Amino acid sequence: MTTCQNAECPNGNPPSRLECPTCNKIGIRGSFFCGQECFKSGWKNHKILHNIVKLDPNGIGQDGTVNPWPNFKYTGALRPVYPLSARRTIPPHIPLPEYVEDGVPRAEMRVSGQAPRILNPEEIEKMRTVCRMSREILDLAAAAVRPGITTDEIDEIVHNATIERNAYPSPLNYREFPKSVCTSVNEVICHGIPDQRRLKEGDIINLDVSVYYQGFHGDVNGTYPVGQVDEESAKLIRTSRQCLDKSIEICKPGALFRDVGKVIEPIARSNGCATVRTYTGHGINNHFHCPPNVPHYAKNKAVGTMKAGMVFTIEPMINLGPSWDAVHWPDNWTATTVDGRRSAQFEETLLITETGVEILTAAP
Amino acid sequence: MDDDDIPVLIEHQEPPKQDEQARRVPLTIICGFLGAGKSTLLKRILTEQHGFRIAVIMNEFGDTADIEAKTINVASEGEESEEFLELANGCLCCSIKDTGIAAIEKLMQRKGAFDHILLETTGLADPGPIAALFWHNEEFASGLGRDISLDGVICVVDAVFGSQQMEEDHASDTVGESLRQIAGADIVLLNKIDLASPESVDVTAAQLRGVNPVAPIFRTVRAEIDVGKLLGVHAYTAAPATFFSPPHGHQQDTHDHDHDHDHSHPREPTHYELRGITSLLISVPVLSRQQLDAIDEWVRTVLWEQRLPGDAQQETPTVTILRCKGLFVLHSGAQHVLQGVRSMYEITEAGDALGVPDAGKLVLIGTGLNARVRESLRSVWAG
Repeated sequence: MTTCQNAECPNGNPPSRLECPTCNKIGIRGSFFCGQECFKSGWKNHKILHNIVKLDPNGIGQDGTVNPWPNFKYTGALRPVYPLSARRTIPPHIPLPEYVEDGVPRAEMRVSGQAPRILNPEEIEKMRTVCRMSREILDLAAAAVRPGITTDEIDEIVHNATIERNAYPSPLNYREFPKSVCTSVNEVICHGIPDQRRLKEGDIINLDVSVYYQGFHGDVNGTYPVGQVDEESAKLIRTSRQCLDKSIEICKPGALFRDVGKVIEPIARSNGCATVRTYTGHGINNHFHCPPNVPHYAKNKAVGTMKAGMVFTIEPMINLGPSWDAVHWPDNWTATTVDGRRSAQFEETLLITETGVEILTAAP
Repeated sequence: MDDDDIPVLIEHQEPPKQDEQARRVPLTIICGFLGAGKSTLLKRILTEQHGFRIAVIMNEFGDTADIEAKTINVASEGEESEEFLELANGCLCCSIKDTGIAAIEKLMQRKGAFDHILLETTGLADPGPIAALFWHNEEFASGLGRDISLDGVICVVDAVFGSQQMEEDHASDTVGESLRQIAGADIVLLNKIDLASPESVDVTAAQLRGVNPVAPIFRTVRAEIDVGKLLGVHAYTAAPATFFSPPHGHQQDTHDHDHDHDHSHPREPTHYELRGITSLLISVPVLSRQQLDAIDEWVRTVLWEQRLPGDAQQETPTVTILRCKGLFVLHSGAQHVLQGVRSMYEITEAGDALGVPDAGKLVLIGTGLNARVRESLRSVWAG
C-alpha cells in the first residue's frame, strides 16, 4: 500500500511515504504519491475521492442517506449509511429467546462465572440441528454477496430464511442489536450493522449468522470477497481461515482452552497480521454467549479444560498489519481496526466428543 | 479550502506501534475494614507523592467485581479534581474487557496517563475478584503507555479490633470477609499499634502470618510508612521477596526502629487454621521440566475443578484456593514464577532472577488445605 497510487504516474509508481494531507485528515488511507508533480498531475481525478467521503455539512448524501456521525474520527474509509430499515417482524408462532423483550440476557448473565455446561445426547442432537440450519442460512446469504447489494438487503435474506425455518435470528435485539445478522465490511472487525451501503467490487465482507431453534443457538461466520479483491485481501481471508482450521485440530477432551490462541497467533504473525484480543470465542447452547471464554491470542490465562459434551465457538478475528486493537463507532456496536486496515474472520460451533471434536456448523 | 488549490504532500506518519515494553500504569487495591485506616493511608500516599499524578477510585459496590464508580478523584501537584468516567452505553458484547476498566483507560486517553492508581474498596469487599479483573485486563495491553498493570493488594488491619474481626465476622459462606481480605493481600498494614498493647499486637500479627505466610506485615501508627514499601511491588509478576530470604537468622538489625517488619518464617510444616482459612507453605525441590508441567497440571486441577487430582468431582468443592504464589527452580537453573488469584493463574519464566534461591517454594491460601493436599503435592515431584 505504499507505492504511488496515481494511475497515470510518470515515474512508474515507485514506493513513497508522501501522502495527501486531505486524505490523512478525513481518514482515507493509502493515498501515497511519489512527489508533488505527480500529485498535481493526478489531482483532478484524486480530489473526487475527497468529495465522495466528505458529505456536505449536514452529512446528507445525494440519495437521501445520511452519515449520522459526520464528525466522528473514522479510522478508515467506511461510513455508516443510515437510515436503518424498519425493525423486522417475527411471526407469532416462533419461540423467542429470553432477551427479546428488553434486550437483556438475564439467564445468560446468571451463568457467567460457572463452569462450561456438559450437554446430554438429546441436547447435542438439537445443537446439531440448529448448527446445520445456521450454516444453510449463511450459505444462502453468502450466495447473494455481489457488488451493488446493500448490507440491509443481505439482512433481509437472512431474516426471511430464518423465520421460514421457524427459527429466530439470535442477534435481533440481543442487547439491543437492531438487525438479524452482523455484516462487517473491510476494516470492520465484527458486529457491523446492516445499513444502506452498497457493496463495492474489491470489498471483503464477513457475515455472522446466529440462529435460535428448539431452545438452542447456533453460531457461524465467514468472510467473503465482493467480486475481485486484491491479493492482500485474498491472503488475509486465507490466513484467517487457516487460523480457525488449525486451532480446531487441537480440540479434544483434555485440551486446554488457553492453548487455542497458541495455535492461532503464530499463524497470524507469520503472515504479517495481528490477532484481535478483546473479542473471544464463547460457549453456546441454550445461551447465546456463556462460559467458556476462548481467547484467540497466545499468552492468556483462560480457565478450563475441554470435556466431552462441551459446545463452544472459535472465531479468530485477524487484522492486516501489527495492530490488534479496536475502535468502536458511536452506534456502540461496530468495531473497527485503529489504523483502517482490513480485518477478516471465520467461525465454527464445535462439540467436544469422547475422542475429539465435531464441527457442528461444518459446510456439507 | 478551495478544492482547486492543490495541497502540498506531507510525510506519512505511522501510528504509534504497539510495543510490549512501554511504560504501564500501576494500580494498587487497598482494602480493609471500616476504621482500620484506609483513608489515612490514602491521604498519606497522596501527600507524600506530591508531584505525581495519582488517581483514587472509590469502589462503591464492593460486593461484586463491577467497578461502579462514576467519577474518580485525581490528585496532581497537591490539587484534586474530579473526573467523570464515561461508561459505554451499549454493549461490548462478546468483548471480555470490563466496561469500568475501559472507562478508566478512556479517561487516560483524554487526560494523559496517571503515575499510579489507587483503588479503595468498601469495607466488606473481597479484593480477589477485583484483582482478577485487573490482572486479566493486562492481556489487552496496547503498549501505548496507558496500560494498567496490577501492582498489588494492600490490606489495612486495625490492631485494636482486627483479631476480634477475624474471629467473629459473619460470612455468607465459610470464610469471613476480613480473612478473605488478608488472604488476598500482598502487603498487610497492621495499623494503630499505638492504641493496643504490644502483647495483643503480637497475637494479631501471629494470626495474620498464619493466614498469609508470605505477605510482609508492617506495624504502623497512623498508617505512617515509607511509601516506597507499598507501591511498585510487582506483586503479580515477581515471586514474593520472602521467598528469597536467607534460611538462617532474622534480619532484625537492618530494620528501622519505627516500623517493625515481620518476615514470614517458613518452617515446615506450616499449617494454620482459622475459621476455614488455611495456608500451606511448602518447599519445592529443584525440578525437571516434566515435573514443572506436572505441577501446572496439579494447579489447574485444584484451581479450576476445586478438587485434588485423582479425586472424583464433588457437588461441593473440597479445596478452594483464594491466592497462590510459587517459585520453582529447574535443573537448568531457570526460575519460574507461579501467580494465581481465584481460578486465574499463570506460570511464567522469571525475567530477571532476583536472587539465587537454592530451592523452590509454593504458598497456597484457601480452604480445605489439609495434610492430604500436602501429600498430593509432594507426590507430584516425588514421582
